[in-house]
Amino acid sequence: MAERSHDLVVIGGGPGGYVAAIRAAQLGLSVGLVEKQKTLGGTCLNIGCIPSKALLESSQRYAAARDELAAHGIKTGRVRLDLAVMQRRKDEVVGRITQGVAALMWKWKVKIYTGEGRLAGAGRVALRRENEEEEIAATNIILATGSVPAALHGVDLDGDRVCTSTEALAWRTVPSHLVVIGAGAIGLELGSVWRRLGAEVTVLEYLDRILPEMDAEVAAEARKILAAQGLAFRLGQRVTAARAAGGQCVVEAEGEKPLECSHVLVAVGRKPFTAGLGLETAGIELDEHGRIPINERFQTSPAGVFAIGDVVRGPMLAHKASEEGVACVEMIATGHGRVNYDAIPSIVYTWPEVAGVGRTEEQLRAAGVSFRKGSFPFLANGRAHALGSVEGRVKVLAHAETDRVLGVHIVGPHAGELIAEAATAIEFGASSEDIARTCHAHPTLAEALKEAALAVDRRAVHV
Amino acid sequence: MSGRRAETLVIGAGPGGYVAAIRAAQLGRRAAVVERARLGGVCLNAGCIPSKALIHAASLYDKARHAAELGIAAERLSVDLDRLIEWKDAVVRRLADGIARLLKGNRVETLQGEATFLSPRTLLVRGAEQSEVLEFEECIIATGSRPIELPGFAVDGKRVLGSSEALALRALPRRVLVLGGGYIGLEIGTLWQKLGSEVTVVEVTPSILPGAEAECARVVARNLKKRGVRVLTGSRALALEEAPGGARVRVAGAKGEEAIECDVVLSTVGRRPLSDQLGLEAAGVRLDERGFIAVDERQRTNVPGIYAIGDVAGPPLLAHKASHEALAAAAAIAGEEGARRPRLIPAVVFTDPEIASVGLTESQARAQGIDVAAGKFPFAASGRALTMNQGDGFSKIVAEKGSGRVLGAHVVGADASEIIGEMGLAIALGATLEDLARTVHAHPTLPETLMEAAEAALGRAIHVLER
Repeated sequence: MAERSHDLVVIGGGPGGYVAAIRAAQLGLSVGLVEKQKTLGGTCLNIGCIPSKALLESSQRYAAARDELAAHGIKTGRVRLDLAVMQRRKDEVVGRITQGVAALMWKWKVKIYTGEGRLAGAGRVALRRENEEEEIAATNIILATGSVPAALHGVDLDGDRVCTSTEALAWRTVPSHLVVIGAGAIGLELGSVWRRLGAEVTVLEYLDRILPEMDAEVAAEARKILAAQGLAFRLGQRVTAARAAGGQCVVEAEGEKPLECSHVLVAVGRKPFTAGLGLETAGIELDEHGRIPINERFQTSPAGVFAIGDVVRGPMLAHKASEEGVACVEMIATGHGRVNYDAIPSIVYTWPEVAGVGRTEEQLRAAGVSFRKGSFPFLANGRAHALGSVEGRVKVLAHAETDRVLGVHIVGPHAGELIAEAATAIEFGASSEDIARTCHAHPTLAEALKEAALAVDRRAVHV
Repeated sequence: MSGRRAETLVIGAGPGGYVAAIRAAQLGRRAAVVERARLGGVCLNAGCIPSKALIHAASLYDKARHAAELGIAAERLSVDLDRLIEWKDAVVRRLADGIARLLKGNRVETLQGEATFLSPRTLLVRGAEQSEVLEFEECIIATGSRPIELPGFAVDGKRVLGSSEALALRALPRRVLVLGGGYIGLEIGTLWQKLGSEVTVVEVTPSILPGAEAECARVVARNLKKRGVRVLTGSRALALEEAPGGARVRVAGAKGEEAIECDVVLSTVGRRPLSDQLGLEAAGVRLDERGFIAVDERQRTNVPGIYAIGDVAGPPLLAHKASHEALAAAAAIAGEEGARRPRLIPAVVFTDPEIASVGLTESQARAQGIDVAAGKFPFAASGRALTMNQGDGFSKIVAEKGSGRVLGAHVVGADASEIIGEMGLAIALGATLEDLARTVHAHPTLPETLMEAAEAALGRAIHVLER
């Protein structure tokens, strides 16, 4: 049998890898994609963004039916939760999207190899499935193996009640008391899901603030809003141990009494996944954070081997991985490809949502950049009132001299949709005046962005 | 009789007028605004805001009723319309109070009364108790518009309602006939259908939403049908007759005449400018043939010092167009140079699903002789839309083929109104398809559909099967 060979082999079928594979096929390369799981889509589609958003949506609707209808004159009797049905819908959504990705691979004639991929010398990938191993020849190789939840010393994961996001997305009963370790996006999103469904939720965070990647002022406002929803925050907590013991779980933090609870979610971040990739044989040395070092062309140290997504530097975000996948492949095929790291939005899907793009106030101050700030509360936005969701604000940061938009940070209803316009503004090098002079439809939440841009020049109309 | 003087006098405190007054004050003018009814105008008191509040509540109710597939069962759901209307009124009141505070905070004087021009420099304000003559240096006319009535269907507040009456109704009509399949009729018709009414829409043109992008309108039409709303296009309401327990409307369509029984008729057949009771002839302000005040690109009328904005100054009759023109007029008055604003007015329709548009449609672009590249991306292929259980609709981008310059964007789908903002800015900035395709869009979000539509127009969408 003739040996299999491709212009490009991608290891990892997540949002970085499969998008890179499609773009490469569009550019005329013959492409193989190695994925060890049965379904494509990686963490994002199978155990990350998509299932969490499905549960966030369902739990939000449940909470709305239970808590919000009355204020709008809608009477209801008991609102019952059928968690099995809710989980099944989530699984169906995941199934539909992963099947969609498989269909895309078929359309673009990307050859799928199910198994574990490993670098096996120059231009070669070894594929292991069960006990077989075969080799594939590849002119170019992209490593896109993603990340896994980071462990916390002293925490004994039992894969059920003391666990990571993977299991917490699949619980079949509502925890009576969930302790979330880590107040990042994942912890707050899953904490919100189970809080809405009825759990008591305590969030322990090592730092003295939540959402460490986001703008501090916006994060502080989010904390107040989420606390009012019943997320009990304990900041500045150094967790030393957590374990299941009998029917209960116990979490210990330095200088605190042991905390008893029913479930523990460890959400202290993620770390690059590179085990079994054969990096040492290829002469690739990880950096101090366990990431694969790359240059600005996504090249690792050996020729013809590239890396993108969560295994390399930068924020661990699905859309950052997809962009890198496209840019890396374009670099390979055409010699050009670029990602603008200054314009990568990030979103936390709590309710209200938190979203940001560009620099935070702290980053600008630390860099000594002089800037002006415009802020506008949703309390002064008509659409927010009509939606019954008036908490939060939009904040626009613009350069003091040039007025160029440097950062936009939002906590509020649909912040995740609104941030797209801000990212476009930053990508285009727009000024706050550009946003202010653009007609925004009424009544929409996006008007708040325009007003915040007006406020940069102290001429907001509605505050 | 010599009156007080205002530097800038604004007639009408709707979304055009109050914004103009505040902006003029911010730019250093001593400003006053005359209002005969309530601050906020039609938009706030009887239009956009109350309708969106009710639409949101109706959609919460509708979603709660159909939440079984999400694993949510809400028992014995019912609507207390009194309570709902009170909530809506509270929303309106809060925002109206906000406008009063804004005017005061910006030191804009508010005068209650009817305004009539006495000359190109003076205005008579007739209040409930006293009248006053005011001299002005500049006047901004922002009187808005009022509903058109069909002959034989005069709004009486009982059998025939206009949109204002409809939004205050405290008993749900069992059977509704909506005259006019434009956005106001469909928004209110859909909201009533969700709350439990039986709804028939009669539209004289061959399709609903005649102003909207045709493909988008078709998605809404399909969904109305699915909901059980009867839509009679190419049909004309001839006459209204009393009938036992209600009314009967004779409707002539392509297949002949039929009589439709209903409890109320909602008349939403369009609006016309409020330009006929202002004494404009005394000021010498010229109207166009349709009764709109003729203005130039800085909102100046033919009379020096008199400006007009919003509905009274021509279509589209949209609140944000009025506010946009308000900023332009205030800038012109203050002599701000370089204050030209791109005239790109988005339009949003809060039907189910929503429609949002900005710029040219594909057919408009073709009609201008432009070589068009268009791309579409279905919400059914959007991860975010699927997690929301709302895979209906699409995003569409229209561009000039050679340059790739984006000319228009049209979205029909969940939260369309919130994702069109990006496209208004992108078009204003002169974006090309390549620009949109290369701007990072967060995952999973609905704006990804715009990026993918741009990629589709370039022939390289990542997430669609058909080419």
